[in-house]
Amino acid sequence: MNKQEFLAQLGKGLLGLPQEDLVERIAFYSEMIDDRMEEGLSESEAVSEIGPVNSVVAQILADTPPTKLVKKQIEPPRALKAWEIVLIVLGSPIWISLLITFIAIIIAAYIAVWSVIVTLWSIEGSFVACSLGGILSGILFACNGNALTAVAIISIGLVCAGLSIFMLYICKTATKGAFMLTKAPMLWAKKHLIKRGA
Amino acid sequence: MDIQLKRGLLDICVLAAIKNKASYGYKIIKDMKPYIELSESTLYTILKRLETANMLTVHTAEHGGRLRKYYHITPKGLERIDFFKNEWKEIMSIYRFITKEDVADE
Repeated sequence: MNKQEFLAQLGKGLLGLPQEDLVERIAFYSEMIDDRMEEGLSESEAVSEIGPVNSVVAQILADTPPTKLVKKQIEPPRALKAWEIVLIVLGSPIWISLLITFIAIIIAAYIAVWSVIVTLWSIEGSFVACSLGGILSGILFACNGNALTAVAIISIGLVCAGLSIFMLYICKTATKGAFMLTKAPMLWAKKHLIKRGA
Repeated sequence: MDIQLKRGLLDICVLAAIKNKASYGYKIIKDMKPYIELSESTLYTILKRLETANMLTVHTAEHGGRLRKYYHITPKGLERIDFFKNEWKEIMSIYRFITKEDVADE
């Protein structure tokens, strides 16, 4: 018998246990077999040293307080199948790193989207600053009697003011879009959970 | 050996196996083998019990591309070993009493 067969049969025999106990037991025996193989035993030798699955199951069930077994009966029926748990335990070094990568990519995408929004708003801010500054300094020039410069600067200020109004519209639309983008996966996850629960 | 007596000793033996250095499941069984046999499922139960009693802590570490659980003794676990050593002195005096009776009978 190889390791995977042993663990699958063990999982099947222990389905009466609460799920977290089951996962922990399978991980424990998986580690025990791996450690024996590391010592130079073959896979089937390592498995046979642990003993026949039936007697392992019998001893575990004998060691488990009946309250745990009863509690399991009351729990909702949706539970992972034995082979799913075996896969999760055996594959953990792979899926943990994949999960971390996936989360990192999502975070990176959000940062990218929101930095565009921040950039747009700072452009808008600079337009507003330019228009205010232009008009104010134009008035100052006018007070000094420098009419030509005053007109030029005020007109630049007005152009900036116009651009800032236009830019405000773009900023608002982009921000709304970004919010939608942030919310969409959340909504999807929630819907998925509700479907599962039903 | 009597099952009840063995059960009491196994907890102390597992604590002794991790006393100087954190250890993992298979190594604990291997280290104890010359002295006392224990099965994987018994070890699991003992480790759980000692963890619940705060006599050891569990840390998962990466080893050769997989995860392995390491068991570390706590000050409370060390105290338990010391307590056992003192208890043993009492047991030894009882033992002397028992063997003295034997001699008197002969």
